[in-house]
Formats: sequence, structure tokens, C-alpha cells
Amino acid sequence: MLSKAVPYPEIHQPKACIQRIECCSNWLLVQFKTPFNGETNDLTQSRIMNNNKSILRRLATVVAITSIGISSLVQSAVQEPVKVGIMMPFSGVYAALGDAGRNGLKLALEEHAAFLHGRTIEYIELDTEARPERAPEQASSLLSQQKADFVIGPVHSGVAMGMLKVLSNQKPIMIIPNAGANAATGPLCAPNVFRTSFSAWQPSYPMGDVALKSGYKKVVTMSWNYGMGQESLDAFRESFTKGGGQVVKEILVPFPKTEFQSYITDIAAMKPDAVFVFFAGGGAVKFVKDYDAMGLKGKIPLLGSGFLTEGTLAAQGAAAEGIVTGLHYADSLDNPANIAFRQLYQQQFGKEADIYGVQGYDAGLLIAQALNATNGNTADQGALIKAMESAVIDSPRGKFHFSRSHNPIQNIYLRTVENGVNKVTGLAAEALEDPARGCKL
Amino acid sequence: MDLAIFLVQLLNGLQYGLLLFLIASGLTLVFGVMGILNLAHGSMYMVGAYLAWYFFQGTESFLFSAVISAVIALMLGVLIERTLICRMYKRNHLDQVLLTIGMIFVFNALQSLLWGNDPLGVDVPDALSGSLHLTGVVEYPVYRIFVALFCVAIAAALYFVINRTRLGMLIRAGESNREMVECLGVDISRLYTIVFGAGVMLATIAGVVAAPMASIVPGMGEHVLISCFVVVVIGGMGSIKGALVGALLVGVVDTFASVVVPDVASMIVYILMAVILLIKPQGLFSN
Amino acid sequence: MFLTNKTEAWFFWVFFPLALLAPLFLEQNEFYVSKITTVVILAIFVMSLDYLIGRCGMVTLGHSMFYGLGGYLFVMLAPEYETVNFWVYTFYICVIAAAIALIVGVVVLRTSGIYMIMITLAIAQMCFYFFSDSIHWGGNDGLFIYIKPETSIFGLSFFDLDNVTHFYYFCLLSLFNCLVFFRMVLRSRFGRVMDAIRENPQRTTALGYNIFLFRLASYAMASALGAYAGYLFALQYGYVNPSMLSWQLSGTALVMSILGGMGTIYGAIMGTLVYEGLHYSLEHLTEHWLLLMGIFIIALVMLFKSGIAGFLESLLEKRS
Repeated sequence: MLSKAVPYPEIHQPKACIQRIECCSNWLLVQFKTPFNGETNDLTQSRIMNNNKSILRRLATVVAITSIGISSLVQSAVQEPVKVGIMMPFSGVYAALGDAGRNGLKLALEEHAAFLHGRTIEYIELDTEARPERAPEQASSLLSQQKADFVIGPVHSGVAMGMLKVLSNQKPIMIIPNAGANAATGPLCAPNVFRTSFSAWQPSYPMGDVALKSGYKKVVTMSWNYGMGQESLDAFRESFTKGGGQVVKEILVPFPKTEFQSYITDIAAMKPDAVFVFFAGGGAVKFVKDYDAMGLKGKIPLLGSGFLTEGTLAAQGAAAEGIVTGLHYADSLDNPANIAFRQLYQQQFGKEADIYGVQGYDAGLLIAQALNATNGNTADQGALIKAMESAVIDSPRGKFHFSRSHNPIQNIYLRTVENGVNKVTGLAAEALEDPARGCKL
Repeated sequence: MDLAIFLVQLLNGLQYGLLLFLIASGLTLVFGVMGILNLAHGSMYMVGAYLAWYFFQGTESFLFSAVISAVIALMLGVLIERTLICRMYKRNHLDQVLLTIGMIFVFNALQSLLWGNDPLGVDVPDALSGSLHLTGVVEYPVYRIFVALFCVAIAAALYFVINRTRLGMLIRAGESNREMVECLGVDISRLYTIVFGAGVMLATIAGVVAAPMASIVPGMGEHVLISCFVVVVIGGMGSIKGALVGALLVGVVDTFASVVVPDVASMIVYILMAVILLIKPQGLFSN
Repeated sequence: MFLTNKTEAWFFWVFFPLALLAPLFLEQNEFYVSKITTVVILAIFVMSLDYLIGRCGMVTLGHSMFYGLGGYLFVMLAPEYETVNFWVYTFYICVIAAAIALIVGVVVLRTSGIYMIMITLAIAQMCFYFFSDSIHWGGNDGLFIYIKPETSIFGLSFFDLDNVTHFYYFCLLSLFNCLVFFRMVLRSRFGRVMDAIRENPQRTTALGYNIFLFRLASYAMASALGAYAGYLFALQYGYVNPSMLSWQLSGTALVMSILGGMGTIYGAIMGTLVYEGLHYSLEHLTEHWLLLMGIFIIALVMLFKSGIAGFLESLLEKRS
């Protein structure tokens, strides 16, 4: 086909543009053909004239076509939308987290439309259903079918692994807006993979010191038996035992079981100084309720990685009062970015923002800043990565930038639940950087 | 483990088991009488929890929301039986599996559309919100004891209905010989409608009473479905008594295993089921 | 020919030529080729399940165990950073999977009907938790396969697993071989006995056949093929995860098999194509694709008494 003759084949052109050029070139073909066809029928007299005419016509056509072609190419380079692939769970257990992350992302990109230098955003949304075995296929769809510039996802660490397998060191820039698996910015780190959330290590590590400072010596730790949970407990144990504390027992509950009563009775029998847990979402609601119902609340203090009380306080009700957690964000943070963000989020989506919304929002901010730095040019991946590495994100959680392994260097806030709100009571760690063990960047 | 803690754990196990029984009873009833394998049974449990939350938001009365949820569930059950299930009696089990999997999809989607995906919770009704001091730091919430007693009451009621009433007689007759019941002039399709409606209602009631102590989240139905099947199969499909024994067995074994042998806790109920099926391939109380 | 009826012949001559040509249309887009490769691999898996359920009367909800084992066995057996031979490992995996199936089968075959569904589920769940809880085998997050095996036989290499199109054709060839293999099995004496066992186990026993052994052999055969499909799937993206062993996957495969028309073998391909096609298109259509998918499945059950293959047969076979 003639479309092969179009210059710069390496530039990915939108369909409309290709059609236009094809259309023009078809017309050109007709223009070229007709004079010669006419020629055979015409008498010799008119031959020269005709020829002249046809040369002029040809020239005019060529000029017209090239100008149309070039202008459309130039235009397309400017106006072709930035493709943002979203791979998050919109159904199943993690659906609420996926919704919030997507809301935050879109909010940031709308708010900072001026940063995009005239480029529009095209979203491609895929429901991961939190099924890791489908992740490589969906990631490959965004990579080679949709040719996405950015891929935002996922929530679930298993899905993250599947995505990394396909997307590491590829064209799209992958931004993880939740999944905390240490490996993603550890042994599996890659130049094109960024994370705007946290590593499992980050919110839990400072809690060991917090426990020590509160005078706890013997602690029981508990979580679901999966990567994120184990890594959180390990990080807590690391700092807690370093300071002389003792983890009496580590309880790993089969995922996604939510029958916690027997474990809590077991904890009551051991009478530790405190309990440290990692649970999130529905499991967090059930655990906190069970802990309260079995009468342990107020007798054995409950500490946790902050997800225990994020997006779940409404459902937990009074049972959550007094729980102390560490996280890189708190609803009640008193900085202008947070206040503005929470107001905007409330306006747009009619509900309170949570950490998952913030992490999505920051992914959006990161994209916007990177595009701003490159004048809206997504073709040069190296420049984009450089811009992102040096970006300072004015996040609702406070300003942060990225470590060499592309994980945020951020504050971990110490929060206590009071009257249904996570109230900040201090800093558990300032500008905490993930050790990024095994990362060769 | 001292004796006091042992007894508390036993209580935990029995309470969990009784709740499992309440959910599973509807499943085994429907299978026993109608021969229908209803995989959407777990979804009914989910619907119950969400309905309880929804009405509790509006009325602040748990009793009212429980009653109205049960009524809605009964209507839903009858509707489903009349429109879909009634065409399935002559078909094989696998077609029923396919149909009810389709229903699971629909219910999950509707839940997401109607009520969103955030985890939800219902407060324990005030009258039952206290707790009993048992031992050491352990307290036992009154509501959970109430739920356990409620489940026992339901079990007794089911026993009474099936063994002492005319309806129960028809149900038992329908279990053993469908054609004969029809020949005797009983409108079997109406009996089926009633039984299916009751099955759905039982699952929904289980969802309602579990709502104040569970987290109400998407996908809660599928998780409970597998436990339910384990219970029903251990007891013998179609046997209410079997479901009760199976549920208590699963509840107690699961509770103790998670503390005593945590390494195999995730597999313990499946090991239990496999062992029982090896000894009695038709479950404990098969007909 | 090995084809049994007009419908199957019709399907055969439409599907395979189209599938052969498919990469030509999709060449500019690697993803589509990968996508249909996944569908073809799934079709192999569903076909082995279809044989078990539809032809042997053994309903299992634990077939994904072998699918997952296929992937995990490769990770466990193969050295991490050395190139290994594809055929050698194909042999290992199929043999080990069959051996496991023989052991499991002895337990499973004591039961029947719903009890068999549940005991297969129980065993598969144990296996699922084994991998999901084990830190050594990657736990819940799964494991990467870094090296693709090479495919030479006596030093001759016909295709390259890294090439998406090559891999697709290889999977398609595998699917074709499976179809032919099952057809040959079913036409053989062995297959006739299996049919007899499904229709009436008592009479078959009375005829002097040891039905237990026949069933066990079928179970091992189908399980080995299921493992083979899982092995291919693991190689496609180089990633294994415990969710390959989940009961949801068994359930989905069951739906595909019933959808296609149980026991027709070629129906498994149609079921997989229709289900995956629907899933793909609805998912891109709306966020609430589950609703449409559910309604569609319900409608299909209501309208087609014995799956898509059954529907087509009722159209095509009447006239002849």
C-alpha cells in the first residue's frame, strides 16, 4: 500500500492521520494517471500543452500534499494524546482501592492540564480483578497493543510481579500507585519503574522504635500469610529486635481468611506488652472489630502498619479508637496541598479521600511534572526518566522525591485514631529511604 | 493452653461452626429436596449483609432491617426459582453450575453498582452490645453468644419443621421419591418454590446476623461458599443433621488448628474433608 | 478421517485454517498473537478437562492443580540460569504430573458426583496453599522464569520459543495434536470402554473390565495434558503464580467446557474462544463487564441445552 511511502514510519501515527495521508496519496495517484490515460486518446497537438499542464498540476499537487502531510505530522506530534494505561482492580476484594487510585490519578491530571503542553490524555483502563495470572497478558496489551506511554498499576503485589516481568526495561514508564512488594524497587528495580506509594518496609520499620519508646519489650506480630504481610512484619522485627525488643510470636493467618477470634484468644493467653499487625481493607475491619469484641482493646495496645485504619474507619466505628499506626500519610495532615486535595476530591467524588487516592494523585502529579519538563514530548524515554528522577512531588503527604531505586523518600507519620480520624501525633521517621536491598540502579 | 483458654477457644469454634451451619443449611436443603447445586448461595449471604447495612443506614434499627432483609430475600428467592431455576430441574448438574456461576457474576456486579466497593460495617445493636468477662483479659461479646443461640434456634426450628409438620413430610417425601409425591397429587413445583425461597432466606439471614461482626466487602460470598461446600459434603449432601455436625466439626477443628498447628492451618479443613471422604465416600450422614 | 460428524468437520475446516492465517492479519501487533496464544493454551487445558468430565463422567474442580503444577514443576526442576531442552522437560513434567495423578486418582476415584467435585477441590486447595504459603517457591507473589528452554531435537532446532509467532504456531500444533489424540483415544478400544463406563459402570464391570484402572488411566492422561498446558502458559510470559492453581481457574475452565458442549472435545475450543472473546470485548467495553458476562452466561444456559456444539449439531445434523 501507499501508506508505506509516508515518511518517518517510526513515529506512531494516530489512525485519522494515516487515513488522511492515504486518501491524499490515492488522489495523487489518480492525478498522475489521468493525464497519461488522456494522452493516448488525444491528438499530438494538445500533447505539449497537456504535458505542461500536467507537470504544473503535478507540482501543485505534490506541494499541496507534502504541506498537508507535513502539517498533519507536525500537528500529530503535538496533539497525539498521551496514552495512560491503568491496570487496577475494579471488581473483587480490592475494588475500592482500585477506584480510589484511579480517581486520584485523574484528578491530578485534570488539575495540571496546563503542564501537558496541549496534549490530551487518553486512558486505557483494564480491570486486573487482582488475578496475578492475567497480569502479564494485560501488561503486554498496554505495551504492544495500546503502545501506552505510561502504565499505572497495580494494587496487588502478585499482579505487580506479573506486570514487571513484561514491562521492566520497556518503552512505557510504569508507576506503581500501591503494591508495596519490596522487590519492585529492590532486586527487580528497573529504570522505567517508579513507585509513588511505599515499600512494605517503610511504614513498618519505624514502628519498632515507636514500640520500644513506648516501653514495650515483648510483642506479638500478626498478618496474613502473603508477601506484603511478611515483609511488613520482618521490617518491624528488624528495628524492634535491634533495640532490644523481643517478638514473642509471629502469627501468619492464611490469606484471605478473616476468622481471627482464635488467634486473638491465643494472644490474650500470651499477654504480650503490645501487638503489631498488618491488615488492610476488609480484613482490617474484621480484625479491629474482633480485637475490640474480645476485650483486648485498652488492655493490650494495638500497633499497626497504617493500612489498618485507612479507608476503613467508617466501617470499624468505635472499635478503632486509640489504635496507633505509622504511615506516609494521614487525613488530618495540616499542609496546604493536603487541604486543597481533600477538598477537591470531596467535591469531585463525593467522599473522603484516603491513602489510595493520594498515591494515585501523586502518580498523576509525577506524570504531569515529567511532561512539563519535556515540553510534552513522550518520545524520549531517557529524558522522561531523568525528569521523573529529579522531580519533587508536592504531595498531600508533604513534599517528597525519589530514591535511586525510584521509591519515595518520605516521612512516616505516627497517627492515633481519635473520634474516627487518624490524628497525627508526631513523626515516626523523617525522610525515610527504603534500603533497596538488591537494587543495582 | 490452660483450661479456661481451652474453653474460650471451644466457644470460638462452636460459634463459628454454628454460623457456618446457618449459611450451609439452605444449600443442603435445596440440594437435598430439589437436587439443585446452587453455587450462588454464597452471593445470597453477601446480599444479606449488604441489605442489613443498607436498611440499617436508613432506619438505625437492626431488628427492622433484619426482618425487611429476610422478606426481600424470600421474594428474591421465589423470583429466581420461578424465572430461572424452574427450567433447570430436567437438566444435568453441570448446567445448573453454569447458570449459578452466571448468577454469581450478576450479583457481584449489582453489589458494586448499588453499594460501591468500600468496606462497610454495621454496629452491634445496643441491647446486645455488652460483653461477658471470661478469664484474664478475655471478654466474650454478648452479640456473638446471641448469634450462636440464634443459630441453635434455627437448627431446632428446621428440625421441627422437617420432622413434625406436613410441609416437612412433603419435603422428606420429595427427597426420597419425587415422582411418587407428584403422583399423590402434591403440587411439587410449589413445594420447590417454597424450599428454594427458604434456602435463599436462610443464607440471607446468616448474612444479616453476621453483618455486625464481619466486614462487608465485595467477594465475601465466594469465600464463604467454599467453606459451606466443605461443611455440606462432610455432613453428606442433603442432610440437615449432617450439615450441623459438619459445621461444628469444621468450626472447632479450624479454630484449634490455627492455634496449635499454624503451619497447616490453611489446609486443615481440606485435609479433614479428604480424610472423611476416604472413610465415608458419601459424607457422614448420607441417605 | 478422525472427525466424528459434520459439525466437527465444519468446525475443523473453519477453525484451523483461520487460526493458521491469524498471525498474518495480526502480525503488526504482537499482543494479538500473544492473546490468541493464551487462548489456544487454555483450549488445550479445557479440552483435557472436557475429556474427563464429558467422556469419563469424572467431574473435577481441581484440574487447575495440574495446570499450576505444570508451571511450578518446571521452575522447581530446571536450573535457574542454564538453558535446558524443551522436550526433555516436557517429558519430565508430563510423567511427573501423570504419576501425581495416579496417586491422587486412587483417592479421588473412590467417590463420585458431587463428592468427587469436592475431593478434587480439596486436594487442589492443599496444593494451592502449599505454593501460596511457601516462601521458597515465591509465595503469593509468584516466581519468574528467566531462561526460555531451547527446542532442538538431536541438534536440529525448528522454532524459537522467544519468537511470539513461532510460539503461537507451536501451541496451535499442540492443540491440533491434542484434538487428534483424543479422537484416536475415543475411537480406540480404550475409548469405547470409557464410553461404556460412563453409560453404565455396573454392566461394564459385569463384562469383565476393571473400570477403576480404565478411569485411573484416563485421569492420569488428562492430568498430564493439563500440566502440559500449564507448562506452555508458564513459558509464554515466564511467570508462575499460585493463582494458576486456584479453584476459580478450575471453575472458569468448567464454564468454558460446558459452554462449548460437554464431551464433544472440539467444543472445548469453541467454549474457550467464546468465553475469552466475550471477556476481552466486554472488559474493554465497560467497567461493569461482570454484569453483561453473567447475563450472557445465563442466557446461553437457558437457550442452548447442550452448549454451543450441541446447538450447532442440532442445526447441521438434522438436514443430513
